[in-house]
Amino acid sequence: MGMPGKDLRFEPMKEQDGFAIIPDTWKVDFYASAGELSRFFIELKDNARLMGTKCPRCGSVYCWPRSWCHDCYEDCDWVEMSGKGRVQMFGTVFISLSELQTEVPYCAGGVLLDGARYPLINYFRDIDFAEIHPGMPVRAEFLVPEKRLGSIRDFYFVPDQGA
Amino acid sequence: MDKVAVVGVGNTPFKARHIDKTFPRLAYESVRAAMDDAGAAKEDIQSVVYSIYNDFFEHCMMPDHHIHYLLGHARKPGLRVTTGGATGGYSIRAAFAEVASGLHDVVMVVGVEKVADVANVFEMVKSITFAGDPFFESRLGGSPSGSYAGAIRWHMEHYGTTEEDCARVVVKNKGNARNNPDAQSPMELTVEDVLASPMVVPPLKILDHCLNSEGAATVILASEEAAGRFKREPVWITGIGASTESGRQTERDDVGDSLFPAVKASADAAYRMAGIDDPSSAIKVAEAYDSFSGVEIVLYEEFGFCRRGEGTRFLADGRASMGGSNPVNPSGGLIGGEHAIGATGVYQVAEVVRQIRGEAGARQVPGVDRGLAQSMGGARGAYSVTIVLEG
Repeated sequence: MGMPGKDLRFEPMKEQDGFAIIPDTWKVDFYASAGELSRFFIELKDNARLMGTKCPRCGSVYCWPRSWCHDCYEDCDWVEMSGKGRVQMFGTVFISLSELQTEVPYCAGGVLLDGARYPLINYFRDIDFAEIHPGMPVRAEFLVPEKRLGSIRDFYFVPDQGA
Repeated sequence: MDKVAVVGVGNTPFKARHIDKTFPRLAYESVRAAMDDAGAAKEDIQSVVYSIYNDFFEHCMMPDHHIHYLLGHARKPGLRVTTGGATGGYSIRAAFAEVASGLHDVVMVVGVEKVADVANVFEMVKSITFAGDPFFESRLGGSPSGSYAGAIRWHMEHYGTTEEDCARVVVKNKGNARNNPDAQSPMELTVEDVLASPMVVPPLKILDHCLNSEGAATVILASEEAAGRFKREPVWITGIGASTESGRQTERDDVGDSLFPAVKASADAAYRMAGIDDPSSAIKVAEAYDSFSGVEIVLYEEFGFCRRGEGTRFLADGRASMGGSNPVNPSGGLIGGEHAIGATGVYQVAEVVRQIRGEAGARQVPGVDRGLAQSMGGARGAYSVTIVLEG
């Protein structure tokens, strides 16, 4: 299991069965522009709104958003999603990648938001994982403003008791 | 082997940063431009080759399949190629092989690169050094500038090439870029301006370097039979040669006095295929891989445009300039035009196609019936692809 944030580049070589085991870490920093999809992250962080896009020709609604429709080759328009939908598929994770190993077990899956063509992936929280099932109504829950970073992890899905 | 035509070309403008576009969006815009150019519909495209150099630049390990789906080509073949700076050339070659073999009639090559999403230029250069041998090379921090500076220095010591000569390549290519509306860095410079720019790795100063660009380029290839379906007169790929050398910049076997033996091997193979005996008279225009100023001088020799050691004279006599016998990089090349790495070799082909069609605007070379596109990558040109195109 890896340790989040640990830099191995300056650790000494280890010898194992007569072989040289040389520690290393690849780490590259980014400030990646979300480009034409930026509004999704800005609305999420600033206003706790979930934005999708809609093809003006075929009417398909995409969330996560895309800037053009892959069927029609038309540029899409922004639309606000209700944040409500139904579980399509899911999986509970007990052994994960290094950065998420402290969060196991967690459950993630695809939710088909109302009106959307494809499911949107995120975590399920505030629920007994054993109760999650396909078709289950859920809604997006947002972190409080001071905890939102402008990241896909700023929201998650919880059971929609009112559905 | 079937004849292979270029039937459509397109590209985005090239910039230091397209802050308003993700890499799929850049790819899409160049695809739309090439499809419009060809009069092609999405359904015409049977297979796609993605020319994308560096996963770190895209901030994504397998960027091609995200683009492929968003282009509406799900369940068609899609292949990603990455061979350093020669990614574009090798991608064209992969698509060429698909058409020439009869596997597909119409194949699209999509070259795209981001670069400015990496936090800064130092992190960007670090990501490039990951291509070196992990135990013996990468940890020493070898940079692209360093690998090419040694070759240029060798040329200077053996043939009397000077930093001023190298600077003349910069003046030419930045100047040519003024005629290219898609170019990133059109500039009117003097040799003194270049010499006065900050030193990076001697003899290379900042202005001797290629650009870091974001952008995309697409070309559509078709078989002879399929070419008739599209609205443009086909431009034929009559020669294509590829060569991959040692990835170790100091280890080159039996190459004589060739400084970039992969380039010579790829050019020789392309000429053989195209039936070219005298490249200096046969090739009317070249878009070549001027990764660093002095590199272009060496390329004149590797291409056979002049004899070994005469590259500097070739440049000084104006033969590589607009109006010369073999204009090199009318687009501005990598120094003045763009270097969105995965897109570069694809864009070079698009530019030579425009020259052959007579559509190159203010950068048009008169009477081009045959041109050359050449890209290379890896330490000191470990990969090279040379492509001959004819009208």
